[in-house]
Amino acid sequence: MSKPHKPAKPAAGGGSATAVRPELVRADRLRVGYGTKPVCGEIAFTLREAEAIALVGPNGAGKSTVLKTVVGQLEAISGTTHIRGQEADDRRLDFRREVAMVFDDDAFFPALTVEEHLAIVAAGHGSTVVEDLIDTELEFFGLTGERAALPHNLSSGQRRRMLLAAAFVRPRSLLVLDEPEQRLDTGMRARLAERLRSEVDAGLGLLLVTHDPEFLSIVATRAIFVDDVVKKMTPDQAALAISSENPHAG
Amino acid sequence: MSYSTSTSEPAAAHGPTLSAKEIRRYTFKVGLARSEGGIMELISEIYTYVFGAVVLIVMSGAIIVGLRHSLGLGSEPAWSASALAPGFASLEPLQASATLMLTLAAALLSVQMNIGPIAMTVPQTFWWLGLPVRRRGFIQPGFFRSMIWPAAGAVAVVVPLSLGIGADSSPALVALATLCGAALALLLYGIAGWVQIVGGERWLRPLTGAVTVIAPLSLVATALINNAEKTRVDMSWLQYLPTSWPLLVADGQLWPLLVTAVAVAMLAVVYANLERLSSASLKSSAVASAYVAGSVLSMDASELSRSLSNGSRSGHSWIRLPLVFHRGTLTRRSVLTMLSAHLTMQLRQPATLVRVLVLAAIPASLASVQFLGNATLIAVVLYFCAHFAVTGLGSVARFAAGNPSVDALMPLPAKTVRRVHYVIPAVGMTLWVIICFALLHVLGVGSWPLIILAVLAGPGLGGATLRAAFRPTPDWNMPAVATAMGPIPTGAIRSFLIGPDLTLISLLPVLICLISGVVPLLAFPIQLALTLIAYAWGTKVRKPKKKGDGGIFGLPAAAPKR
Repeated sequence: MSKPHKPAKPAAGGGSATAVRPELVRADRLRVGYGTKPVCGEIAFTLREAEAIALVGPNGAGKSTVLKTVVGQLEAISGTTHIRGQEADDRRLDFRREVAMVFDDDAFFPALTVEEHLAIVAAGHGSTVVEDLIDTELEFFGLTGERAALPHNLSSGQRRRMLLAAAFVRPRSLLVLDEPEQRLDTGMRARLAERLRSEVDAGLGLLLVTHDPEFLSIVATRAIFVDDVVKKMTPDQAALAISSENPHAG
Repeated sequence: MSYSTSTSEPAAAHGPTLSAKEIRRYTFKVGLARSEGGIMELISEIYTYVFGAVVLIVMSGAIIVGLRHSLGLGSEPAWSASALAPGFASLEPLQASATLMLTLAAALLSVQMNIGPIAMTVPQTFWWLGLPVRRRGFIQPGFFRSMIWPAAGAVAVVVPLSLGIGADSSPALVALATLCGAALALLLYGIAGWVQIVGGERWLRPLTGAVTVIAPLSLVATALINNAEKTRVDMSWLQYLPTSWPLLVADGQLWPLLVTAVAVAMLAVVYANLERLSSASLKSSAVASAYVAGSVLSMDASELSRSLSNGSRSGHSWIRLPLVFHRGTLTRRSVLTMLSAHLTMQLRQPATLVRVLVLAAIPASLASVQFLGNATLIAVVLYFCAHFAVTGLGSVARFAAGNPSVDALMPLPAKTVRRVHYVIPAVGMTLWVIICFALLHVLGVGSWPLIILAVLAGPGLGGATLRAAFRPTPDWNMPAVATAMGPIPTGAIRSFLIGPDLTLISLLPVLICLISGVVPLLAFPIQLALTLIAYAWGTKVRKPKKKGDGGIFGLPAAAPKR
């Protein structure tokens, strides 16, 4: 990835600006795993608007499990997660209005084009400018030429871009991304990182898992190292931790 | 370009959202416009359902005729003569039917809980469930659609039973019994749906699994006790279990029809709570349903059985066998390692092993019932049980077939590797036939010479296990072949028949002797020869196809592009 411009980070660490920003996510004494077996140490954090928290750590440490549990896709072993003060539960309409998430899914309607997939999301969220939104995102994600393509005619990287585009054609105040850099080329990673950063600066709350130190240092305002013992870190410390465990990352 | 579309008040820049119904219609309309079939596809669908219904009716008719003949309600054909020893005290048909109903109900509930039962497709869960619209419109069609299968299954089971067993099988009583059966199946569907909504299947799941295993065995156990003690264990309480109520209706009692009201109430409760279903549950049932559909399409009985059973497994096993050997030649050590690994993998599937054991007892449970103790029926069921046991014990070999690189790591020729894979299934199937025929013998079916003949067939069934496991998979790259049941991939039918064919060949002398009731001396050399053929056939390593071999319909293959 080429060295991009690093936007100014908002104050994050207990300043007066932090105190006034509304709380988006609060995870309290959260233990995550499958059945009764936890996959990592107990985790607790608060994410406010205009903040981006990156979950980092080795493979199998439980980062994606934490992410899915925080947004109510998996049941926690113990502890609670609240989104805007209410228990995380995607059965609630307001939860679905506010929280956009992209995990490592690869599921598509085989007979629907790229444009039609995005139209379902944009129109489903009540957009009155569906066409414009789709145009903008297709252009950003380099899929304008694939507008009428069916999913099975796309490459794996293009399908990933389409999934990401689906998270951007809809309104969101919290964005949850599981390894967004996956299957993206270097240029796309850099553009996505800068865009995420600008959206965070504009007020978005971002919770992501990443293995890419450069992506992390551009996007994240804070980081959490997930393993048997969970540690809070600065983005720079986390980037260093990732680089040392994976010298080829990025 | 500005990307600041995120906002703390997300809906502010947006108009009213669409309804789930509108989104669903849009998705189907756009998808349908692009599908290839059109009106012909619709006709094909209808044809398929009609064809399926005719096959079901013919099969049910055959069972009814058989039951009625066995009950003495018609003239008895030669093939339905009893195989039981004279004086053997069989179980009454009503107890057998009640046990069958209990087993099927437990199996239905278990399967329903494993696949949902309320399911959407995987893309639907991904693209629809995140939208801020009321989800009822998305979930409701799946809720209604999923009702068809348990209801159809109930009809297929209750109609023949009520026709065959009912002393006065008037059309009205059969219709009411069928209604009661369908209501019972829908009640179980409703219970599974409620469990899907609120959770709490932790105790229900093992319970249904245990009933499915224990109920058929109880028939054999009761028959054995009856004959050993020269008494009759009172099992009449079985007919008062709710699962037997359709049989009571067939017998003229109407109060069990109350179950219809209970089923309607249960379904209404589930329907009212559809929006409480979590995304995680809907996604999990979507994946499970896709797995079942894939198994049906690939016609793999073993995969289908796995897909319908509980897929969750513990990541740990206490079974540890030595995998490293220090004595002997390299070949000997490699062979021992492979054998040990094969045995470890097999022992780490206790559910499969239990299933295989229960299959060994099913022919005996038939023999223990008054009207089912005819040799032909036992032989047919025995063949199917043997085939399912073969697929169960072939799971490790099937894994090896799907992951050839694991075997390639061993410093052994392919032929030797294949023979090593043969050992455990051959021993397993030999034990299986010993259990199966010993149980039959105890119940008065067969004789010692028949058991010896069956033991000779066991190693042949090991060959059938390998043939089924290493069969070529359907060619998904070739154009699908059009059939009455819809398009299927090239080679699917051939693939389906590879394995069952060798099971039949291996068991042929045993089955003929079982039906005829005598074991001539000539049967032994014939059985031995067939077992050797099955071994040679099963352990044969197919040569990989060359690129230029063959073309469609026997035409020369296209020349490779340079």
